[in-house]
Amino acid sequence: MAVLTQQKPTTVFEKLNDETWRRKFLRNVLIPWLFIAPLLILHIYVVTVPAVQGIYMSMTDWKGVGQNANFIGLENYRELFFEDETFGKAFGNNMIWMIFFLTVPFVLALFAATMLSQIKRGGMLYRSILFIPYVLASVVTITIWKNLLNPQRGIGAALDNMLGLENTFGIAYLGRPESALMSIAFIDNWHFWGFLMILFLAAMQAIPPVLYDAAKIDGANRWDEFRHVTLPGIRPVVLFMFMMVAIWSFLAFDYIFLSTQGGPGGASEVIATLLYKNAFFRFEAGYGAAMGVVISIFAGFIIMIFVTLRRRGWDI
Amino acid sequence: MKGIKILFAIAILVLALAPVGAQDVTTVSMWFSEGSTLDCWGPLMLEFNDVDPSIQLEIVPQADTWNVTRTAVAGGGGPDIVRTPGPSFVYEMAQAGLILPMDTFAESMGWGDFFFDWALDLGLVDGQLYSLSDELETLVMYYNVEVFEENGWTPPDTMEELNALAEEVEAAGLTVFSHGNASWRPTNEHFVGEYWTQVAGPHKVYQALSGQIPWTDESLVEAIELLDAHMQAGWYGGGVDLYFTNDGVYRRTSLAEGSAAMNIEGSWAIRGTVDYFGQSGMTWDWVPVPSHDGTDYYTIGMGNTSSINANSPHPEAAAQFLTWYFSPETQGKMLTNCLKGPAPVAIGEDVLGALDPRIARIYAELSDASANDRYGYTTWTFWPPKSDVYIYEEIERVWTGEITAMEYSEGLQELFAEELAAGDIPPIPTR
Repeated sequence: MAVLTQQKPTTVFEKLNDETWRRKFLRNVLIPWLFIAPLLILHIYVVTVPAVQGIYMSMTDWKGVGQNANFIGLENYRELFFEDETFGKAFGNNMIWMIFFLTVPFVLALFAATMLSQIKRGGMLYRSILFIPYVLASVVTITIWKNLLNPQRGIGAALDNMLGLENTFGIAYLGRPESALMSIAFIDNWHFWGFLMILFLAAMQAIPPVLYDAAKIDGANRWDEFRHVTLPGIRPVVLFMFMMVAIWSFLAFDYIFLSTQGGPGGASEVIATLLYKNAFFRFEAGYGAAMGVVISIFAGFIIMIFVTLRRRGWDI
Repeated sequence: MKGIKILFAIAILVLALAPVGAQDVTTVSMWFSEGSTLDCWGPLMLEFNDVDPSIQLEIVPQADTWNVTRTAVAGGGGPDIVRTPGPSFVYEMAQAGLILPMDTFAESMGWGDFFFDWALDLGLVDGQLYSLSDELETLVMYYNVEVFEENGWTPPDTMEELNALAEEVEAAGLTVFSHGNASWRPTNEHFVGEYWTQVAGPHKVYQALSGQIPWTDESLVEAIELLDAHMQAGWYGGGVDLYFTNDGVYRRTSLAEGSAAMNIEGSWAIRGTVDYFGQSGMTWDWVPVPSHDGTDYYTIGMGNTSSINANSPHPEAAAQFLTWYFSPETQGKMLTNCLKGPAPVAIGEDVLGALDPRIARIYAELSDASANDRYGYTTWTFWPPKSDVYIYEEIERVWTGEITAMEYSEGLQELFAEELAAGDIPPIPTR
């Protein structure tokens, strides 16, 4: 008995002559790629190419003006890590900034979201009020707070006047090296934490109410409900925001530059402000590019941690 | 039918003439920062369009002029007239071939006839003229006349007299200098430059700038120590921490309203001073910044520069605009109408005579000082970029007690030596 067998095409020519293979290729490979091609080309043009250029520029002595850029290898990185004291200080400030933003706004947002999730009437009003600072432009926020923290006409001075004190609360928070960075972090947090709160609240509202009912039947109190139902329920959002906030901490720029420009005496200097000064004031754009690459490496490192945890089964 | 023929004939005539007219007009573009300065300068600059109808100036307002210009010019575009914040920026652009040497225009259009001799030299890069200085600046000590009269004080000539006066000012419950850097952090460099010039003397500064002596020279370090002592004493804005939070409004109001006695500031501040004192109803005047030996020294600074874009399709027309703009007549008009600091050109006596005598005196004294070896150097004009940033950034570490004046000077010396060796020093008028 003759057995009819259809052999799979193996060579390129056989594949092209095979109708089934052609259709499969068209449906599974070609058409998806054609759909994604415009975005991919755009991405390569506006992200990949500049990123590669940036990496190359970080190995040059480019001044940021004109086309003259001599290749100097890893010299900028050597100077960055082994000679530039200001970079070490700025990096330290970035770490302080990160620790602050991974704790204070998270605690505030979790607390407020938990409270707001209990409110049945007028909750939207509270949410809107707490979210408003987030939609203000950084320059507006800074202008407001620079006035509020002004030692002569700010809230501290008003408090001193009211209590009959002298220079107790009305001090130059942004003008003292020991308080400048934390004051700016406070201002940035005033603007930022409402956003976190809204995210956490949305995640909390997605938790099935039946879980809370079950917990109550098991005798759980409010704290137990928060710990064993709410927190596990919003864990993916919290951890994702942990990753994002950690990355954003290395990109901190606008609030610092608009308030103190890194001063006084470098007390509030972070890598991004240092990068800006090197690239645009000192004509060391190649050196600035090296700082930019270092920031990207830190961001990549943080992402890598989260990817690893995810692979190990964490629900992120 | 006849009407159609006439219309047709007119249309042909218009079409035939229109391109001829369009070809004859050359547009010279200039980018300028938005704001009150442009509101006053703009209409005056556009008067150029009446001088020669074949060349028309187009002013394009920009929010961040320098950064936009730098990016556009580097990309092969940008305006015909390139304005930079100062000579060190010109140096970088000239090195990159982004602006044109203008020596032939300077010669054919007679720029040397109205610019001061030393002023054209400030625009040289490798022996060729690349820029023209737009605004001649100096720093003086403004004071509140009523405050001085009420307390029976006289403006000080020497640092010693300033010391004695400062004690009296503080005893009267006033701030010595209405200062702060919250609006503009490089304000710091004004005082560093002034103290070097007034305490160590401009000749020492010249020697350091030309590499003959280091910045760790005893007299230069002493100047920084004295500035630090005055800062720590609270002379500047009432205290170091307050200095870092006092903004531009504080600076102007506290002097104009009499809660501060004096203010060391640039000639660019005249307009603001006139406005604020006008509001407070008090009177302002000025004296030279007190010096160590009582000599009236004036530091010379340049506010902006103008160059011609290497990509300009019509550099000749751009040069003709520059010739008109920098003429003593135009500069005099801008000084009179907008209180714009004039370019370093010979402004007529009649123009200065029509000004407020206090303002006219600043430029007359500066001119006299530059002719008689009593001029000093402003840091943003004569220092290379890295050293300049170091000067105003790191001095804060001295004021906050993190480093000493000597350590500050050593750091500057190290950086300056690198830039000197690399040939990055802007042109310095020889003495």
